[in-house]
Amino acid sequence: MTSTDNSKSRFFAVGRAFAVLLAALFMFSAPDVASAADADNSIIISVQNQANNNGVSEKKPVAGVKVSVANLAGMAIGEGVTDSSGSTTISVPAKDNYVVTLDVASLPSGVTLVEGTKTVVNIVKDAFTTNQKRVTFFAGSSGESGASLFDRIAQRLVDGVRLGLIIAICSVGLSLIFGTTGLTNFAHGEMVTFGGLIAFWFNVLLGIPLLIAAPVVIALGGVLGLAMNGFIFAKLRKRGIGLISQLVVSVGLSIMLRNMFLYQFGGRTRPLDDFSLQVAKSFGPVSITMRDLSTAIISLIVLVSVAVYLQKSRTGKAIRAVSDNPSLASSTGIDTQKIIRVVWFAGGALAAMGGVFRGLDEQVGFEMGAGLIFLMFAGITLGGLGSAYGALVGGFLVGLLVELASLVVPAELKNAPALLILIIVLVVRPQGILGRKQRVG
Amino acid sequence: MDIIKILENTIAAFFGIDAAYFALAAIGLNIQFGYTGLLNFGQSAFMACGAYGLGMTSQYFGVGMWWGILIGLALVIILGLLVGIPTLRLRADYLAIVTIATAEIVRLVVRSVRFKEYFGGSDGINSFSTSFRDLSPFDPAGQYGIRPFKYSGYSLWTMIVGWSLVIIFSALVYMLMKSPWGRVVKAIREDEDAVRSLGKNVYSYKMQSLIIGGVVGMFSGMIFALDRGSVQPDNYSRDVTFYVLTALVLGGVAKVRGSVVGPMMFWGLYVFSDNFLRELTKDEPFSIFGVGIIQKAQVGPVNYMLIGLGLMLLMTFRPQGVFGSKEEMALDGR
Repeated sequence: MTSTDNSKSRFFAVGRAFAVLLAALFMFSAPDVASAADADNSIIISVQNQANNNGVSEKKPVAGVKVSVANLAGMAIGEGVTDSSGSTTISVPAKDNYVVTLDVASLPSGVTLVEGTKTVVNIVKDAFTTNQKRVTFFAGSSGESGASLFDRIAQRLVDGVRLGLIIAICSVGLSLIFGTTGLTNFAHGEMVTFGGLIAFWFNVLLGIPLLIAAPVVIALGGVLGLAMNGFIFAKLRKRGIGLISQLVVSVGLSIMLRNMFLYQFGGRTRPLDDFSLQVAKSFGPVSITMRDLSTAIISLIVLVSVAVYLQKSRTGKAIRAVSDNPSLASSTGIDTQKIIRVVWFAGGALAAMGGVFRGLDEQVGFEMGAGLIFLMFAGITLGGLGSAYGALVGGFLVGLLVELASLVVPAELKNAPALLILIIVLVVRPQGILGRKQRVG
Repeated sequence: MDIIKILENTIAAFFGIDAAYFALAAIGLNIQFGYTGLLNFGQSAFMACGAYGLGMTSQYFGVGMWWGILIGLALVIILGLLVGIPTLRLRADYLAIVTIATAEIVRLVVRSVRFKEYFGGSDGINSFSTSFRDLSPFDPAGQYGIRPFKYSGYSLWTMIVGWSLVIIFSALVYMLMKSPWGRVVKAIREDEDAVRSLGKNVYSYKMQSLIIGGVVGMFSGMIFALDRGSVQPDNYSRDVTFYVLTALVLGGVAKVRGSVVGPMMFWGLYVFSDNFLRELTKDEPFSIFGVGIIQKAQVGPVNYMLIGLGLMLLMTFRPQGVFGSKEEMALDGR
């Protein structure tokens, strides 16, 4: 190919990429969703009750609290009352210095501000990193920490199992993609977010019951995986671009997708419609909603099926063969590119499923997957990078450990132990639990 | 649409304080990523070390601001050892995973209520920069320069200090990379095993490179903190590292001028795109064929989308950026 050809094709490729972006903006621009983006400059004030539930601090929104914003001269800018999510948004004219005041008298009875929390918060101009500044007042109701240590551990175990199952589901694809192509895909978290947001779109905006929507969402997640492979990473492999460069491309993709979600969905987290209002049932010392119990059981079934599929089926065996040694697999007549497509599809579908479950568990938001990605990395490293069973085991263990650790670690630092796990694994046993001992350096 | 204003802001952004602190961060990242081949995705954490080093002088230690440099150095070394010891013997992507995780945890820790006493929680730290302000030879209330280069006295002071540091570190890195040390780290990037077989301690060289790059990143965080007069945890989110990386790749990896001009171009482009889109959507949403594409509030995400897309396209089609050479971007992890 002559150099003019080359530059021409490059030009078209760049043009195509922009066209895809523009088309994506166009396509997603349903006005009702777009209006979800928040007002220009605003201060979001939320009041959270760090209730001491079974000895584990959990945030609960406090509604009906009066808050006001004034400028430094004392002139009132706006007032608000927190809604059921415990927050209210007060728009402000510009990024400037403001004073936020909470009306203590409007706090519900039994709720007081956490010791050391001021009722007045000064916001400096530079605190506006985006157009919004979030201010949180922490309240805490006293008492109810009577649960015994055993009960607390039991409850954390149950929550840990649930989180672990979700992480395992999300990270199978990440690990398989790494195994078959060598790519560390930093955009995998966005595939999880995609699942959650599309479920929100179907369920809340279009009003389709989640049970019907979920299979479609999962299939669409698979299609997204195929698209990522087909339009980006397969092309990169073909061009002979190194794995580290591919990794950086996946970082770019992650930034792009995440902001696309933000553009589309706005910065708030929101619940799905179906199954969102359930009361937890108590089973002995632990309580769990039927929704969470069902998602946990479904997750378990899916994970077992994935494992059986990998172990028994022809394609599953081929996937493991490609993971082990791509060139050897391809010389035995396995179509590696096809296997890679299967893996991307399955990975995307599982990630989307994880996103739906996570959305049910917490809420959906544009950063939901980005927040999980490094738990997923910790999981697959613990299990053994590239090993499919490793991802199942490792992801599960990380979820469990993170929840158990929250017995001693404050809720806001809940994810920190995952980093500790990551570091300890890399020092002690870098190949992970199920990885083969080989040079990883 | 006020084109003159957009262009003025764009030109000013090329030389603004944001470009300066990005350039410092990029020089540090260049030592690690460009010359040594270390995928440090936690440069924002090293920047936070600098900013919090300064901030903690008033918040916790109650000592003069200049002690902040020492505190920052100590934090950088601790952080470098923390992420380096487990990962530098392993394949490159482990460092990426651990650094990105660490950066996120560092941000969570500094904004936590639990450690508010040390780091000021989500409010950050505001009062630490008086000794730096007092050194300024300019009148803080005065306006200096001509449009578009018009600055208040204090901004001018931080800019001069910032760009001086950029020049100093550029020169240092240039000399360092011409030295035997530089040749060894570049050889590590090309072929680690070959260097090991020559009897060099690859692990130790990588660690030195990581920490030296982190120290330059620390100064970046300090300049940023001094300019804003405050330390805010959310300014050190993990995405900052990726923006710095984009700027570096744009300029050209493994080239000193790439690491300085790249951030300047990055901020020029960013401010242009930001101002342009804001002007475009000022009165009504920008629409094509009657379909609203970009509303006022969506300008931010669209800009960052473009950054992500830019990073992808650069890595695919021009990994050497503007100044780099393709031979020095032969990165391969496996």
